[in-house]
Amino acid sequence: MTSNPVEATPSPYPRTSRYHGVEVAVRAGHDGRQVPYLRRRLLPRPGGFVAIGEHTVSAGDRPDLLAHQYLGDAEQWWRIADANPVLDPRELTGTPGRKVRITLPEGVLTHG
Amino acid sequence: MADPGPVHLTLLMGPRIPVPVPQPVTDALLSAQVTVTAGQRSGFQLAFDLAKHGLINRTLLPAGFFDPQTRVVLVVTVKGTPAVLMDGVIIRQEVGVSNQPGQSTLTVTGEDLTVLMDLEEHELPHPGTPPSARVAAIIARYAHYGMVPVVVPELFPQVTPPTQRVDTQKGTDLSYVTQLAKDQGYVFYLDPGPVPGVSRAYWGPEVRLGVPQHALNVNMDHLSNVDQLTFSFDGTAREEPVVRVQIPATKIASKLPVPEVSVLRPPLAARPAPALKKKVIADTAKKDAAQALAQALAKAAESADAITGSGQLDVVRYGYLLRPRELVGVRGAGITYDGLYYVKSVTHNLQRGAYTQNFTLAREGLIALYPTVVP
Repeated sequence: MTSNPVEATPSPYPRTSRYHGVEVAVRAGHDGRQVPYLRRRLLPRPGGFVAIGEHTVSAGDRPDLLAHQYLGDAEQWWRIADANPVLDPRELTGTPGRKVRITLPEGVLTHG
Repeated sequence: MADPGPVHLTLLMGPRIPVPVPQPVTDALLSAQVTVTAGQRSGFQLAFDLAKHGLINRTLLPAGFFDPQTRVVLVVTVKGTPAVLMDGVIIRQEVGVSNQPGQSTLTVTGEDLTVLMDLEEHELPHPGTPPSARVAAIIARYAHYGMVPVVVPELFPQVTPPTQRVDTQKGTDLSYVTQLAKDQGYVFYLDPGPVPGVSRAYWGPEVRLGVPQHALNVNMDHLSNVDQLTFSFDGTAREEPVVRVQIPATKIASKLPVPEVSVLRPPLAARPAPALKKKVIADTAKKDAAQALAQALAKAAESADAITGSGQLDVVRYGYLLRPRELVGVRGAGITYDGLYYVKSVTHNLQRGAYTQNFTLAREGLIALYPTVVP
């Protein structure tokens, strides 16, 4: 996720954000304007996560509700989406009966 | 502690490369305490339950798993966001054996990786290099421990020609680097993270800039996230340094104007505390003006914080981890003591089911500089 392990410049996004540590690049337009943009963030490898639980989707579930229930913060739904790995968060809870992995953040390992 | 919850602690240990500890070790962990202070070495203490026929007592302890110089990395995940609390080495271990079953404990105490820079004494000449280059060269020798140097060049360039004087390092790497930092009004510390096994070795002025952390609210009914805050204003804390230098050709001593401290640290308060004391700095007459000026600035910056605050917060209630060596806003303490503060030190107290932080704040005067505190 982080291209450089030690960030030389502070990220414009807070630590809890999905875009924390994503590199900012600058593109020069036709008229010489400098347009800053974020580089593409790829989904991490699913093997880099340690599962701490599993959730079976039932009707009415939403990614933010899952994040609130298991991680304590509804805004962290993207961590569950990363671990499962899906791009569209609605895909996580779309089909009842689907098993959703609840994991620790990427890079945090236990009991190796 | 592998249950889903708002706080999750991960412990990694190993001789040089830390690896996740076995499950019985995690289960035996009773409490963890980590102290981080700006400009000082960080320390940690871990307490384990020492069962008579447990894995720790029978296998790991005799095999040297908890021996001094074993590396320890503590990662805490608060509400899904990981933070490396400590990257250090064990210095001492204590075993308390009790007659009561379940009361025997193993306690290991350690310090951050700078302790490795304090083991060997060197005598090394550094001809014609400025202090920042010397520091970068010294830190680079510890790269295999994941130390990455972040070195800020000094404010007043101080390169002595080798024909005039050769600066020599005497003593350990840590004492030399700390002394160089002190002469500039800088600090030297290790900041673990952002990933386990890597830490930033920062040599530069205290970072009193940037986006402040989530505000500490006190005395605000259900919006309070701090139990108690205590502030103190010490009038004798601030000293004004007096520096005299001698011009070598004429032997005339002259008083140097003391530079404004705000070049090192931007102001946080509207009404800075006055300096009651004046202090003459010794041994500046023979030094060149740039060196004496840097030392005067260092002395002025060292004693600039007249206001200190301390308190305790519950991490789950606050919702975030209060990080030391960064800015934080305070609300609800009244006109005089509201506003931005520099987080001077944080002590993390982790126990099963409880995570509290004790912190101290500091700034140079009274009354907030800006009318509101964000976020």
